[in-house]
Amino acid sequence: MNQYTAVFLDESREHLQAVNDHILKLEKEPHELALIEEIFRSAHTLKGMAATMEFADIASLTHQMENVLDSIRRGQLAVSTEIIDSLFLATEALEEMVEAIGAGQDGKKDVTALVGRLEQLEAGEDGPGASQSDGEQEQPALDELQTAMAAEAEKEGFFPYQITVTLSDDCVMKPVRAYMVSQAAGELGELIKTVPAAEELEAGTFDASFILFLLSQATVEEIHDAVSGVSEVMQVEVIPLKLTDKAANEENSQEETAATQVEEEAPAGQSATRKSKTIRVSLERIDDLMNLFEELVIDRSRLEELARLSGNNDLEETVEHVSRVSSEMQEIILQMRMMPVEQVFNRFPRMVRGLARELEKEIELDIAGAETEMDRTVIEEVGDPLVHLIRNSVDHGIEAPAERLQAGKPEKGKLSLRAYHSGNHVMIEIEDDGAGINRNKVESKAVENGLITTEQAQDLADEDVYKLLFSAGFSTADEVSDISGRGVGLDVVRNKIESLGGIISVASAPGKGSKFSIQLPLTLSILSALLVKVRDETYAVPLTSIVETILLEEASIMDVHGRKMMDYRDTVIPLVALREVFDVPGSSPEQKSQPVVVVQKGEKRTGLVVDSFIGQQEVVLKSLGSYLGDVFAISGATILGDGQVALIIDANALMN
Amino acid sequence: MATILVTDDAAFMRMQLKDILTKLGHEIVGEAENGRLAVEKSAELNPDLITMDITMPEMGGVEAVREIKKHNPDAKIIMCSAMGQQGMVLEAIQAGAKDFIVKPFTAERIEEAVTKVL
Repeated sequence: MNQYTAVFLDESREHLQAVNDHILKLEKEPHELALIEEIFRSAHTLKGMAATMEFADIASLTHQMENVLDSIRRGQLAVSTEIIDSLFLATEALEEMVEAIGAGQDGKKDVTALVGRLEQLEAGEDGPGASQSDGEQEQPALDELQTAMAAEAEKEGFFPYQITVTLSDDCVMKPVRAYMVSQAAGELGELIKTVPAAEELEAGTFDASFILFLLSQATVEEIHDAVSGVSEVMQVEVIPLKLTDKAANEENSQEETAATQVEEEAPAGQSATRKSKTIRVSLERIDDLMNLFEELVIDRSRLEELARLSGNNDLEETVEHVSRVSSEMQEIILQMRMMPVEQVFNRFPRMVRGLARELEKEIELDIAGAETEMDRTVIEEVGDPLVHLIRNSVDHGIEAPAERLQAGKPEKGKLSLRAYHSGNHVMIEIEDDGAGINRNKVESKAVENGLITTEQAQDLADEDVYKLLFSAGFSTADEVSDISGRGVGLDVVRNKIESLGGIISVASAPGKGSKFSIQLPLTLSILSALLVKVRDETYAVPLTSIVETILLEEASIMDVHGRKMMDYRDTVIPLVALREVFDVPGSSPEQKSQPVVVVQKGEKRTGLVVDSFIGQQEVVLKSLGSYLGDVFAISGATILGDGQVALIIDANALMN
Repeated sequence: MATILVTDDAAFMRMQLKDILTKLGHEIVGEAENGRLAVEKSAELNPDLITMDITMPEMGGVEAVREIKKHNPDAKIIMCSAMGQQGMVLEAIQAGAKDFIVKPFTAERIEEAVTKVL
């Protein structure tokens, strides 16, 4: 069964996400039956898959969801907040179980409470079950009229038979089987009576067996064979009847055994699901491909170098072509790793809804650019910081409805989540129309925490004050609430974003709201870097953090309180000599002017003093591995064209 | 041995049916993930047997049975239903489906249905 599990998990997740989305929409448009259909369909598919995989709890929960949805569909139940809540709870439980299965557990969970709740909902407005039969068995005999019919038919060579059919114990849809049996028998002649009556057969209110009376020219064997041809029929007994009475000669139309209620099936899939040809490939394979390709990139650099040294024209040309092709390949492989941010954004509607209900606020979440693509690794990492920021906006940003009315704003707060491409970056913005950041509160808190002095606070611009929010151990919530005041401040968010090579900033207007902007790199594993020489070693500085390179005259290096500083565009920035930081062996060449790489993080700039610039190159970031642990100011290593290893500098770390 | 077209919107289900049917010695000549594709493929492949899920996007199983029957009254179709779809199954049977199986499937039940229909 293992081979199925991956497919099962994939499809289950997709369906759960669809359920989620549709329930959210349903809450807004409770009368949209197409949505019910969609949810029903997903729940239904889930049930089928789970039952096959023998995940009984998932199956029973989805089954009960289906019942509730079916009642809604048939107009017996109206969509209420309670129903939406219960459906969400059920979906959450399903997600948990599916994830548990994904983690190699058995996917069992006590769902009786949830099932009970759904059952109650279903029963709430649902009338008593459909036609309950009194169970009284009729006499298996023909009445006068039927006898008359039989007698009449007999004259034309049709003989009456009594057919007793027993269905197998595990037969699931007895009425349908009964219908099929009736149909099979009906093809051989005319059915004049059934016991129990046709309506009861249709309703399924009979035990395993039922009796048919058939007028037919066929033999016992033929009838037996025809009826046994229906699946799940365990036993068939065909007895020719002897008519006792002479019957009146009365024509009569025969009651129809089968109800012919033809219900138009609702167009289930109205959503125009555009079909592009895709195949599923496991992530591992793409990662493997990426890894192999990285090796290739390294070899490519090496090959370029060798070809250059050899001076062989043909070789150089070939290598150049290889380089071009592999650049294109790189592009494609990177694209394969791209996923729409939707993956992360998807969970927010429900989260915001939940938070809003908990805090008794009214919030409308507006998501734009969910289709924006980013590298998978970045997407996986960026989820938590976004959760944090959204919680923050819902909890601290958007005010309670009463407060909003007082401030002359609509009761319903607005939270916008946007993603878009900007050059080599992806921007994600979280904007609310809440109270904005209270400068005074931030100031006093910062002073209280010893981050700044009162005097400093007065001189700071608004933006600088807001930036204090990202300092370690900072929280302005009036009281520690369940939602965001868990002592984990925005500094954690900032650290996470920066470790992804991103930048976070905040803008705010009092009374109008605030906006957090996150800038993230498109991909993490292959980056453009400036190679620099420091004594005998080569280092790589990621281009993303470089502002510019300068040849600095020895004379313009200043000494301030024992620290080396330089003039940089009307400000003074510190200088850091890499040979000292990394304790590089060897000696630096004597030179009149010092090559300096100016790096930037937020507003901070620092000059890194190196021995010489080598040039720009695509490098593949390889982690140092766990045995080396965290090395100060080094984010990884890469292998150069000449086979040497170059360390990649984490410029951010050198700023502090 | 019969040629079979498997119809289900869940790849998982198709995979399972395919497995069971192949083990029973049949040949899966095609797969369709919705009713519309099933109609197209049945015309194209003319399989001995078609398995048909009921709830599918684009075109559901019942409608697909009607369509297929319209073009090929002799088509042999087995419905694959889940519990609680009695009405739909009945409709499908009335529309001309030969048999039905209820999820979760057992190999025995599938074997019975296929043998009886063929």
